Amino acid sequence: MYKVRIDRFEGPFDLLVYLLENAKMNIYDIKVSEITEQYIDYLKEMENLDIEVGSEFIVLAAVLIKLKSHMLLPRVNEAGETIIEEDPRTELANRLAEYVRIKRAAEILSERYEYYSAVHTKPAEDMSEYLDSPDEILKVDEAQMVAAFRQFLNRKQRVDAVTERYSRPRRKRETIEERIRRMQRSLEIKFKDSSEVMFSELLPEKPDRMDVTISFMSLLAMIKNQEIDAEQEASFGEIILRRTNVQ
Amino acid sequence: MYSKKTMKSALESMMFMWGEALSVKDAADVLETSKAEVRELFAELKTEYDMQGRGIRIREVDDAFGFVTHIENDMFIKKLCTPVRVKRLSQAALEVLAIVAYRQPVSRGEIDSIRGIKSERVLDGLMDKGLIEAVGRSEGVGRPIIYGTTREFLAKFGFTTLDELPEIEEFENTSRSGSPELHEQLALDFDGEELSVDKNTADNTMNEETDNEN
Repeated sequence: MYKVRIDRFEGPFDLLVYLLENAKMNIYDIKVSEITEQYIDYLKEMENLDIEVGSEFIVLAAVLIKLKSHMLLPRVNEAGETIIEEDPRTELANRLAEYVRIKRAAEILSERYEYYSAVHTKPAEDMSEYLDSPDEILKVDEAQMVAAFRQFLNRKQRVDAVTERYSRPRRKRETIEERIRRMQRSLEIKFKDSSEVMFSELLPEKPDRMDVTISFMSLLAMIKNQEIDAEQEASFGEIILRRTNVQ
Repeated sequence: MYSKKTMKSALESMMFMWGEALSVKDAADVLETSKAEVRELFAELKTEYDMQGRGIRIREVDDAFGFVTHIENDMFIKKLCTPVRVKRLSQAALEVLAIVAYRQPVSRGEIDSIRGIKSERVLDGLMDKGLIEAVGRSEGVGRPIIYGTTREFLAKFGFTTLDELPEIEEFENTSRSGSPELHEQLALDFDGEELSVDKNTADNTMNEETDNEN
């Protein structure tokens, strides 16, 4: 729950703007003390959740704390006169306002991107077959050459990224030979109690499709080697195993 | 000099061959006429396609014209060939893109400063996607690379030129002096201190601030 919320923040300003909106505070009238506390609480919460707090977040925390102390102390010069100065919050407020504008622009762009993705175009045609002299293809300047090579690298990188993402690391599976040995061992034990053993009893606990398949293939191999007799009354029904009569 | 009819017909054929948007300049060179005339002919063609409700439309991007599919036919195209789903841009990418679009040409430092966080990777990603490009170097300290948006950006976001970027309404600047809390807080602080700050000075401070802002 929290993780989703925290991951959503695109940086310290994003978080601060969120907190301000949440507290219904105007960017130009930040209650520094209150918001600093909330901001730092949030960072602590992130730390508690073992989420790495980026240094940028810490920097803004420092800015807020400095601002807070600045607000508390009247500015006086050496002669003890109050220095009249601008609201110390102005700089931060302006930066936040700028950030909010950009966020808004990003939203608008996002909507347009979505909308115009429905317009399809053809890529530039490969004109090489229409050119009189094939040599012209090689008339590329340095920048084009670099761009082409970059494109090639990118494509490769993309493929690498996909294979990396989609080749899930898989638990090592038992081979059929291993499974046969295991089934032989458990059959040995079970045959002491009864002359018939169900195939399903030989499956590992909570078998998945792969487990069933391997066990079944092992069974087929055992039947072929005449180690065991098997009988199935109906399709998809239980398979009953007996010792081979040959013995 | 070719007749208007011939030139329009030629433009259509050239656009078809070219695939991507054909720049007004290239077309003018071929037709041996002015860019203004070509622009006008392109615009006429575009209107004709729109009026006739064609499935192919002409789109203008950055003084170039090219064929595109009609936006409402998206569902049919998707059914026909299931184009690779366009990956949505991440929030970070959209923010950086917005900064580059609205503040271009802009350096990485400026982008970082507006977002309050480093944007290098996002910037690289946008360059790979061809939405932004380096457009030169700033005159400033260190002569950093400055970035701008590409024609691809205009096309993907449905703009003809950068002038069409929608205006972002200003954040409503509510006056600070309207906040009673601040007055109270400041007054308290002044009172709490042993300093000989008389009420007038404090009031002046407030007034000054208010004035400054207005």
